[in-house]
Amino acid sequence: MLDAFTALFEWQNLLFLTIGTGLGIVVGAIPGLTASMLIALTLPLTFHMDPVSAVTLLIGEYVGGISGGLITAILLRMPGTPASIVTTFDGYPMAQKGLAERALALGIMASVVGGIISWGFLAGMSPALARFALQFGPWEYFTLVLMALVMLAVLSQGSMIKGLMAAALGMAFALPGIDSSIGQARLTFGSSAMLSGFGLLPVLIGAFAISQILRDAATPQASGKMDMPTARLPIYRSDIRYAGKLIRGSVIGTWIGLLPGIGANIAALVSYSTEKQLSKEPEKFGTGHEPGVVAAESANNASIGGALIPLITMGIPGSVTEAILIGALTIHNLQPGPLLFQSAPEIAYGIIAAYLVANVLMLMLMWGAVRYIARIVQLPRSGLMAVILVFCVTGSYAVNSSFVDVWVMIGFGLVGLGLEYCRVPLGPFVIGFVLSPIAEEQLRASLMMSDGNLMEITSRPYALVFLALALATVLWPYIAARLGARARAGHAKDAT
Amino acid sequence: MRDARRQTIADIILALLVSAGAGLLFIGAAELPPPRFEPLGSAALPRILGALLIFFAVLLVIRGLLRLRAGHVTEVARSDADPRRGALVFVALVAYVAALDFGRLPFVPVTTVFVIATGLAIGARTWANVAVFAGVGLGLSLAISTILERFLYITIG
Repeated sequence: MLDAFTALFEWQNLLFLTIGTGLGIVVGAIPGLTASMLIALTLPLTFHMDPVSAVTLLIGEYVGGISGGLITAILLRMPGTPASIVTTFDGYPMAQKGLAERALALGIMASVVGGIISWGFLAGMSPALARFALQFGPWEYFTLVLMALVMLAVLSQGSMIKGLMAAALGMAFALPGIDSSIGQARLTFGSSAMLSGFGLLPVLIGAFAISQILRDAATPQASGKMDMPTARLPIYRSDIRYAGKLIRGSVIGTWIGLLPGIGANIAALVSYSTEKQLSKEPEKFGTGHEPGVVAAESANNASIGGALIPLITMGIPGSVTEAILIGALTIHNLQPGPLLFQSAPEIAYGIIAAYLVANVLMLMLMWGAVRYIARIVQLPRSGLMAVILVFCVTGSYAVNSSFVDVWVMIGFGLVGLGLEYCRVPLGPFVIGFVLSPIAEEQLRASLMMSDGNLMEITSRPYALVFLALALATVLWPYIAARLGARARAGHAKDAT
Repeated sequence: MRDARRQTIADIILALLVSAGAGLLFIGAAELPPPRFEPLGSAALPRILGALLIFFAVLLVIRGLLRLRAGHVTEVARSDADPRRGALVFVALVAYVAALDFGRLPFVPVTTVFVIATGLAIGARTWANVAVFAGVGLGLSLAISTILERFLYITIG
């Protein structure tokens, strides 16, 4: 770990981490632009960087992207990222009362504390969890990937059928190309351009950036009166009274972040609701109550640390952003999972170290520059979108110096737009695309080891647990509805 | 149009497209050789996914029809969205990539024109904006082409 910190403090890594965090904060603050989009757009640049620098840049973007959302959530009531939706509940009323600086100060402080506490879990649990995961064989990995995919699909917003369909569709789009097991073309339909399949970067940039820009271009720029912070951000010694709330929010955020598919917005919501239930003054929540901002911001930032745990120990993404990070590691010929701690410890520990330092940098950047960031957010977005589109085109082209990738990107932009129109979630689609090769490889290895005997899975307890959890995730909504109906019927009978 | 009806039509179109995609998976899988060195073979996953996609598509259609029959109707919230602006940006993007790919036109001027066109398609159409977007486009394209050619040895356009 010490070596990782030493490497991180080399000037180029620190520079990339600062740039990444700064960019993340600005992008996170702009409603409509997300950390996933920024990470997908900067991935092509990391091709030419050494893996440690690449990882520090992306982790900085991730931390900044989630944290920056609080600026517009408090000042404009427009959360820059979905993770900051709950911050608007009390942050914006505080700004309306003339307490914008105080709300920003509390939000930033809670974000940093949330990040640092979840870093403790990340640093403490990851090596041990990775050692435990070394016991896993192909059956365990296959069922683990299946469980993560099913959870992500089922728990994503909207219909469960559409979530599962999106995951299957994403997996299907990953199939064309050379099948590495037999070295033969699969689903290429005679096209030589399809031999290398759909590249990860064009798919990510198309599905996230292009579809988002085409959608945003059709909607007028949201306007709102923003009261710019003018005074310094106030923080008091008496704020120590929030220590318990900060710890509670951070622990909730970390544990929710650990579960695939739930995300930072739900972490913030659960933390906020818990705080409200435990409060002696629940009626004050939603009216500009300081603990509301503390609960939401500590949890949403802490969820990043939680989500990084299954990513680096088992190679399982908790959300779209982690799926993109898996793609980034794969691009650098690194396989996230327990072996990462042995094969590339500088990356595994580098991610952990970068996460902590990114939180500290986020504090410094946001504390010092929040008023300037708020100004950038108000710039007209027409020019910004044009610039992003140019980056999309050049980024996709730069991967293989091929326009085929650019056309693929445009095609997936349309696919993303169509899926969004039909209310099919994009997250499971992209995660299915990323996890499909891993799932297939592990299933094939499992069946080879067991001579094609599927029942071999019954002798693998961990695999059975993962499979049972996947099944329970699919069946739970129906069971819960049935139980709810039975309880309501019971109450009605009692009433009569 | 009412939301339930529009959503059902969108779901049915989605189900048809997904089923067509599943059909392609089956056609492609049929061309693959049977497994020789391992039990699963490379055609298995396309077939499994094809079957799953058709299953989900059928569920989607049934659910949509049930929703229509039950008469779940909610008025669509009024939206200020203007799809023509999105379409204009898309056309500009396709024309830009086509100019670079098929036309082999130089990157800097084409990018400058693209930034102006996209900026005006989304933002206010004023001469001041034309000048701003031209400056942004020129600066951006020069910076990108310098980085690509000098440092990454990549030529575009």
